[in-house]
Amino acid sequence: MKKNINIGKIKQFKSMRESLSLQDAIREANRCLLCYDAPCSKACPAGTDPAKFIRQIKFYNFKGAARTIRNNNILGGVCAHICPVEKLCEQKCSILALENPIDISGLQRFASEYGEKFGIEPLVKHKSNDNKIAVIGAGPAGIGCASVLAKKGYQVTIFEKENAGGGVLRWNIPEFRLPKVALERDFNNLLDIGVTVKYNTNIDSEDAIQSLMKNGYKAIFIATGLSEAFRMDLFYNFSNAIDYISFLRTIKIKNGNEALVNKNVAIIGGGSVAIDSAVSAKACGAKKVYLISLEHLGELPADQEEIDLARKMNIIFKSGSQITGLVSDKNQITQIKGKEIEWMEPEKFIPENARQIKGTEFNLNVDLVVQAIGTKPGKEILKFSTGLKTFGKGILVVNENFETNIPGIFAGGDISNGGSTVVQAVGEGKKAAENIHIFLG
Amino acid sequence: MTKKADLSINFCGVKFENPFCLSSSPVGNHAEMCSRAYDAGWGGIVYKTLGLEKSFKVVMPSPRLSVYNYGNKKFVGLQNAEQITDRPIKDNIRDIALLKKNYPNKILISSIMGYTDEDWSELAKMSEDAGADILELNFSCPQMAHKSAGHRVGQDFHAVAAFTEVVKKSSKLPVIAKMTPNITDMIPVAIAAKEGGADAISAINTIKAITDIDINNFTPLPNIHGHSAATGFSGPSVKPVAMRFVSDLYNSKDLNLPISAIGGIETWIDALHFLLLGATNLQVTTGILRYGYRIVEDMIEGLSDFMIERNIKSLNEIIGKATEKIVDPSEFTTRYQVISVIDEEKCIGCGQCYISCQDGANQAIKFDPKTRKASVDEERCVGCLLCKHVCPVWDCISYKEVDTKNAKHAAIF
Ligand SMILES: Cc1cc2nc3c(=O)[nH]c(=O)nc-3n(C[C@H](O)[C@H](O)[C@H](O)COP(=O)(O)OP(=O)(O)OC[C@H]3O[C@@H](n4cnc5c(N)ncnc54)[C@H](O)[C@@H]3O)c2cc1C
Ligand SMILES: Cc1cc2nc3c(=O)[nH]c(=O)nc-3n(C[C@H](O)[C@H](O)[C@H](O)COP(=O)(O)O)c2cc1C
Ligand code: SF4
Repeated sequence: MKKNINIGKIKQFKSMRESLSLQDAIREANRCLLCYDAPCSKACPAGTDPAKFIRQIKFYNFKGAARTIRNNNILGGVCAHICPVEKLCEQKCSILALENPIDISGLQRFASEYGEKFGIEPLVKHKSNDNKIAVIGAGPAGIGCASVLAKKGYQVTIFEKENAGGGVLRWNIPEFRLPKVALERDFNNLLDIGVTVKYNTNIDSEDAIQSLMKNGYKAIFIATGLSEAFRMDLFYNFSNAIDYISFLRTIKIKNGNEALVNKNVAIIGGGSVAIDSAVSAKACGAKKVYLISLEHLGELPADQEEIDLARKMNIIFKSGSQITGLVSDKNQITQIKGKEIEWMEPEKFIPENARQIKGTEFNLNVDLVVQAIGTKPGKEILKFSTGLKTFGKGILVVNENFETNIPGIFAGGDISNGGSTVVQAVGEGKKAAENIHIFLG
Repeated sequence: MTKKADLSINFCGVKFENPFCLSSSPVGNHAEMCSRAYDAGWGGIVYKTLGLEKSFKVVMPSPRLSVYNYGNKKFVGLQNAEQITDRPIKDNIRDIALLKKNYPNKILISSIMGYTDEDWSELAKMSEDAGADILELNFSCPQMAHKSAGHRVGQDFHAVAAFTEVVKKSSKLPVIAKMTPNITDMIPVAIAAKEGGADAISAINTIKAITDIDINNFTPLPNIHGHSAATGFSGPSVKPVAMRFVSDLYNSKDLNLPISAIGGIETWIDALHFLLLGATNLQVTTGILRYGYRIVEDMIEGLSDFMIERNIKSLNEIIGKATEKIVDPSEFTTRYQVISVIDEEKCIGCGQCYISCQDGANQAIKFDPKTRKASVDEERCVGCLLCKHVCPVWDCISYKEVDTKNAKHAAIF
């Protein structure tokens, strides 16, 4: 059984779920059917192998379980907190035919924490060869790739523009969903195996790739994620309209944001990140928090559990609504105007398909508007190398080996999949590493 | 009104409204507890074993219990380091008299344990005077270290015969001799009791066992200030052993005495198992320690419904019915062969049967990695049914008979 979400903890910016106790973990592991060719393990994009670590817990081999997790997935401790397991491993759990799935993420977190608490041996640096590899970006994809290459003996250097690693994990995912200690634990494992990270190193010069190559790097892995948030033209000139990336970043760094106390906040968007923003605003002490989305409640891309949480926190859903205008005072928005919509064609959830309904006008008094409508790659990526192929909003084109159109240049994670999950990014990083290894013969 | 079957039995010439009794232990420690047990529906009580203070000072160690756990399942067996009652004999005798006065139609069996002939005789007389219906002679407590008491006596035919005879001479009450399972063959001891005049046999008392060890300090549990001992084990884990002994007793032509079965009974199905193996009377301790007196309600209702469904008028119709089918393994036929059958609809695709058959049987299961369905290779299956037993879906794997003359079959060639 999953631990319940504790709203009190959310407001303190502490992990919103308790860890499983030893008793919980043993009970849960004993429910596992220990499947042959286990479907949960096959469903993990990063190859964490839950079937194995659950078996290890069942047979009281707790440190073995912790080793399995960190050997297979360098961000296994992080993933235990934030993987959408109900769409991955737990969705494939055989016991679903009989009862609730095994709480795989709970067990994963238990084992990772157990390993640390009971002194699992640190990882060690592998004997290195002469091949230098550059990884751009110390987010999940870069970390996943670097971990595999370092274990194979490559000298891996990650170039990271921020002063610390983790990408979205460090700066954006709310603390109550992903405590910093979990990232710290996993990130230290990366350093222990001998990966070098060069912080405050923004790769944005013309032909950055060529100069890295000149400096002896034999292959390059681009893992820069999606660093630029989309913004709506309507809000362009107003200083109290910001994007969710910077909004969440401030809260994550300060463990809250006093400026939001008793303020009215409107979040625009209906996905998981919009809910993260709304719940965070509420946790900071905001008075009214509105969640405005074109999609109706049942059509929201966010998960049911997230929606339930938002409701428990009294987030006001303005779903099935479109913003029609605003009222401002100098460069401050004071009111948002909107109308309810209906879809002209079914199942096409795009603005062009929305028709506003007469007589449904509403006005919301707001102090802050947060736009949570997506992200795209930073513009600097295009400068990396002439001829690097992209599509859509600037997503890098890669083949099934995660190689770009330029030989020796690989990419993975959000920058090339367009935005997915942490575990997907780690998995792509790992696979890219294998292909880099093959590429270098 | 729910229809109720007649659950009454006649055991040692005494009528019980139902066969369900408390076995001698803390569950029948004093009058207040016993009253509540009677009120809950138990047909009889074997009172906690009485002894004489002048012969033996009872010491109750602390902690006194340890359990055997399996996976997340706690308490599949219980170990106790308890001796006979530590209450003054006069209090217990007063309680027995009070209980018989308040519950004249319920049965009270007095369990006694002496050290000398005089002890046995005195305890028998005191019990009879207090109104007990039956005596149970405790020849089987594994915690009584004395060489002339407890299970040491139960391993010594002569002592069993002699003490039983003393009791029979001192009292007119029917006598049950309670057996220890800490012995290879129970029959000679039971026959010794019969020769001493016993009217019935009860079995089993607890099995000497070690349930657990604290791996931090290498001390077995219960950890009694740094020491422990192999002591009495009871509960669900011992039921298979108890069933074997009860069946042995019932099958013995020379013995031919009524049996009170004890060991791991918790449900009406457990009860029925023992009845089918030849028991007339049934006793329970660990089930009550774990769940309380209330469990008798479900035993009564469950057994009653079973009898009504099968049109069984009296428990006598079923007592011993399963023992007819128990033979020596050498008598099994070799011309009968089964193979397992997997219901594809019910298969949930866990593949546990595949793993077990691969590593523990005859590599006779195929597992389709795409559909995740298991199927049986009929030519390789030896019909051990390991697969059926590991399957988490109760009715997914069954079996069918194969034609042993024509089949090309792993078990035959
Ligand atoms: C608010 C929010 C909540 C989320 N919640 C979840 C969740 O619960 N579960 C889940 O699985 N996924 C979640 N995601 C998605 C997940 O975080 C991403 O899919 C994942 O982080 C992608 O990893 P990445 O390594 O590709 O990119 P990032 O995490 O974005 O990492 C990119 C790294 O590259 C660095 N970088 C960028 N440009 C440069 C440059 N030019 N030079 C040097 N360094 C550079 C960045 O500083 C960063 O460290 C969430 C995302 C957001 C925004
Ligand atoms: C705590 C405890 C104390 C017991 N004390 C006695 C006793 O005093 N006399 C006796 O004849 N049997 C005693 N027994 C044995 C039980 O009567 C019974 O034979 C045995 O526990 C098996 O039955 P069960 O599995 O239903 O418990 C005791 C058992 C337990 C668990
Ligand atoms: S009955 Fe035994 S041999 Fe036959 S399939 Fe099952 S496990 Fe294998």
